[in-house]
Amino acid sequence: MKSAPFEHHEPETVDEAVSLLESLDDPTILAGGQSLVPMLRFRLANPDVVVDINGVDSLDYLREEDGHLRLGALARHADVEDSALIDEKYGSFADAAPLVADPQIRNRGTVVGSVAQADPKGDWGSILLAHEGDVIATGPDGDRAIPADEFFLLPYDTTLGEQELITEIRVPAPEANEGSAYHKLKRKTGDYAMAGVGVRLVFDDGVIESAGIGMTAVDITNARATDAEEHLEGERPSPDLFAKAGELAAEQSNPESDEHGGADYKERMVDVLTQRALGDAAERAGTVTVERRVTQ
Amino acid sequence: MTDEREITLTVNGTEHTIEVEPRRLLVHAIREDLDMTGTHIGCDTGNCGACTVLKDGEPIKSCLMFAAQADGAEILTVEGMEDLPEADDIHPLQEGFREEHGLQCGYCTPGMLMAGKALLDEHPDPDEETIRDAISGNLCRCTGYQNIVRSIEYAAEELENRAAADGGAVAADGATGGGSAASPQGDASPEGGHAAPEFGGDADTFCGREDCCGGPDGADPFDRDALLEANDADAAGDAGGTDDAADTDADDRGDTK
Ligand SMILES: Cc1cc2nc3c(=O)[nH]c(=O)nc-3n(C[C@H](O)[C@H](O)[C@H](O)COP(=O)(O)OP(=O)(O)OC[C@H]3O[C@@H](n4cnc5c(N)ncnc54)[C@H](O)[C@@H]3O)c2cc1C
Ligand code: FES
Ligand code: FES
Repeated sequence: MKSAPFEHHEPETVDEAVSLLESLDDPTILAGGQSLVPMLRFRLANPDVVVDINGVDSLDYLREEDGHLRLGALARHADVEDSALIDEKYGSFADAAPLVADPQIRNRGTVVGSVAQADPKGDWGSILLAHEGDVIATGPDGDRAIPADEFFLLPYDTTLGEQELITEIRVPAPEANEGSAYHKLKRKTGDYAMAGVGVRLVFDDGVIESAGIGMTAVDITNARATDAEEHLEGERPSPDLFAKAGELAAEQSNPESDEHGGADYKERMVDVLTQRALGDAAERAGTVTVERRVTQ
Repeated sequence: MTDEREITLTVNGTEHTIEVEPRRLLVHAIREDLDMTGTHIGCDTGNCGACTVLKDGEPIKSCLMFAAQADGAEILTVEGMEDLPEADDIHPLQEGFREEHGLQCGYCTPGMLMAGKALLDEHPDPDEETIRDAISGNLCRCTGYQNIVRSIEYAAEELENRAAADGGAVAADGATGGGSAASPQGDASPEGGHAAPEFGGDADTFCGREDCCGGPDGADPFDRDALLEANDADAAGDAGGTDDAADTDADDRGDTK
């Protein structure tokens, strides 16, 4: 089935895009199209107007600036995968990029589009939560930063305004004793997660000063494992500590049973993935190597 | 609203100007407007990779891109393989699929060839894991991946041999290995062989395959009817539907917020 007819607009600047969103009736933004095109074809989305932002060159960036890693709305999954900066400093992003979909989809799909899509199975939302990142939205009244914690409402629904365009997502640049990681369980290469866990740990003198944990595919949105985070903070890493954190994350997750696994199984996987991601993050922070209870 | 738009696509080195509706997908423009049916449609959802083409050198799924978005782009499809400078009679990749039995029913082959071509452009000497990753977006329903991997390995070796023989330049006509046989490539280049099920040129039909792979994780990610309708209602200023759906959902699971 092909999509219902729509008007196709191709703005070249953010201002143009925003004024199109403001002036046109029922517009939908098209970025990589890797989620939107199937939705249009199945008529799950029926917009009269599609505002295609692929020509807004100023949104095509991935850089570190003003103490943040900043990804513009046209940064593709493949750009993250290929970035030397990411490889060197952003463990969780480097882990996740090659695990998102498949090479063809990574060439087109954008990180921002994936966050905007707010699929609970999307990988980037968890990482944004773990890093306490922001979604930067531009609307008729200018820019605003939406903390990741306030962004995801429901599956496929966010607090983004109707006339707003996400121009960027950003996370704080890593501190000296920081490490992050992402672990994902899937049936086969290229699949969405059955469960995924993103972790960011900041150490101060060997003690976990701050912990961020975001979970994929185990709740109605990307979700934060706050109990596990609290349990970690102020403690020195150890296998026991990480095992308890895994348990707490699993308890806080709300997976659904489906054809790929029962809820119990997925909870157990959250436990395992959390421990693995914590282990990698701690190691990458450079301060500690924690003996693994749960290994690869 | 459905105004047609004139776009230019350079496909396999030949420039074409066609009129397309905004909703026309690149894969349909290639298959139906340009009559190059080598690029297949398997799933319609971005899952199977049968529709893979190279756009400006990058592999993409042409069922997930509107033709208008490719205006001005260079596209390589399976029909262009044998005209590439590194091709002899046929391209070493095509040769590999023949030699190593990488084409079973042949349906996925064009997409596999394009994914393989993109891989070898970037990694001339890939290891098995890299090959498997490169074709991870391409499903072969015969599950004959072992032979497909070997076919791509064959091509990598063959390309290296030719490069060595030519002192770096790519052979234009030097026949090597099994490349000189009369081309049985009809199988892989489906103009002749195991072609796509024909759609009678009607873009409105489904792919029509009983074994359509149906989208990522089965139907689940696309079973978002209710939510999207609710979101649309939201956008129109009526939040009722969304809240209902969400409340039920959240209540069932216990609120975690
Ligand atoms: C087979 C398959 C497998 C996949 N596997 C995974 C996976 O493993 N993990 C994963 O995370 N994802 C996966 N995806 C989804 C993929 O990552 C998409 O690329 C991503 O969800 C959407 O990004 P996009 O740029 O293509 O957005 P689009 O499809 O263009 O847009 C998606 C939604 O976001 C909105 N939007 C896009 N950009 C903006 C913006 N700048 N501001 C406001 N709204 C915007 C659009 O209006 C639309 O509603 C998969 C997709 C497919 C087809
Ligand atoms: S038809 Fe495009 S990926 Fe299946
Ligand atoms: S050879 Fe038949 S689908 Fe792959």
